[in-house]
Amino acid sequence: MSHKDSLFYEVYEVFSKKTDTSSLQHQFSLLAPNQELAFVMAKENFFRREQVADIWVVKRDHIKRMSQEEKEAMKHLEKNYRETKGYGYLKKKWRQYEQEQLTEKDIMGGGEG
Amino acid sequence: MVISLNERMDHFMNRINSGEKIEADDWMPDDYREALIRLISMHGISEIMGALPEKEWVPKAPSIYRKLAIMAKVQDEMGHGQLLLRVAEDLMEPLGRNRDDIMKDLFSGKLKFHNVFHMKAPTWGDAGVIAWLVDGAAIISQTMMLGTSYGPYGRALKRICAEEVFHAQHGESIIMALAEGTKEQRTLLQDSINRWWSSLLMFFGPRTNAETGHSNQDQNMRYKLRTKTNEQLRQEFLTKYVPRVWALGLTIPDSTLKFDEETSEWQYQQPDWEEFKSIVTGHGPKSKERLALRMRSYEMNSWVREALGTSEVSNVAR
Repeated sequence: MSHKDSLFYEVYEVFSKKTDTSSLQHQFSLLAPNQELAFVMAKENFFRREQVADIWVVKRDHIKRMSQEEKEAMKHLEKNYRETKGYGYLKKKWRQYEQEQLTEKDIMGGGEG
Repeated sequence: MVISLNERMDHFMNRINSGEKIEADDWMPDDYREALIRLISMHGISEIMGALPEKEWVPKAPSIYRKLAIMAKVQDEMGHGQLLLRVAEDLMEPLGRNRDDIMKDLFSGKLKFHNVFHMKAPTWGDAGVIAWLVDGAAIISQTMMLGTSYGPYGRALKRICAEEVFHAQHGESIIMALAEGTKEQRTLLQDSINRWWSSLLMFFGPRTNAETGHSNQDQNMRYKLRTKTNEQLRQEFLTKYVPRVWALGLTIPDSTLKFDEETSEWQYQQPDWEEFKSIVTGHGPKSKERLALRMRSYEMNSWVREALGTSEVSNVAR
């Protein structure tokens, strides 16, 4: 491989939104010599058919990704105290007082739903 | 903390067996990496070489609708090639190899591509048979690998399979038009099926090592890169398509072909596995011509890579 080739081949990651209200989603990666061509290729490679509201291309080197060790360290964290499932026992408790526990929807109530 | 190779290997196999997906930067044993590079670069290059027999039919398609559809399919195949080569490149990076090496391996004959793409496509019937049955065969082997242990390959296949459905229906549509057409059209279609039958059986690879002296099936199953054997896939293909070919009043050029109720398996005439070996090592009817075409376009486009690549060098130098 020559030095010239290595400059042409830079990895870009492609993200997109299907509609204005949907979240940004990772699509795939591609090789391109610069941001402009990365964008052109992203359209050609991934959006020949699909509806798309927005496309982002980011040079992979500019992204901090997690290593295998970092991912595995995250996995074992117990966070029940932060989640509703850590408070499931309340349902039974309220029954003892002849009351139903307020559901997530009841607590959030008052909105449009 | 020092972790021994055995511990790493045990951890890796535990991840695979519990259904976790391996990512490009994760630790993986060398033979897993090599198996993936072999499988995915072959798959990626086959998509690109597979566009060539069909591209021959773009200028000759019988209507504007067919021309648009086959052009879209050719474009999809090149897109699939791009996706898969990206997956292979990320695996090759730690070995200091890149896309240029993949192309050079293709040109030198080190990297092989699917047997079907070494064959001639002389009539519009072939365009139909390729899209219906060759893509049909490819869908069977690709959907089997959707659950592969290697995450990036699984994600690429998910995108690819979604588009393959259009390809198969484009093929069905061509087949249906010819099958319901004139006597000449039916003969044209029957000739194409006759021409492609043994290639279609070969597509899935030999049943065991015995036929060709070599197979990576066992290793790929152990690493959960695949979940079914070549023969299981071939049987699925026969179950799916033989009744449909027959229903259209067409025949298959194998008088021994029948479904054995007792074994629940199709019996068929084995294709010539010596011929298969000869085809995939670059001695098929169109091998040299199509490789020359790919090589020529790679050389003709090299100025683009150089122009865009070196501009950055000159910017830095300034």
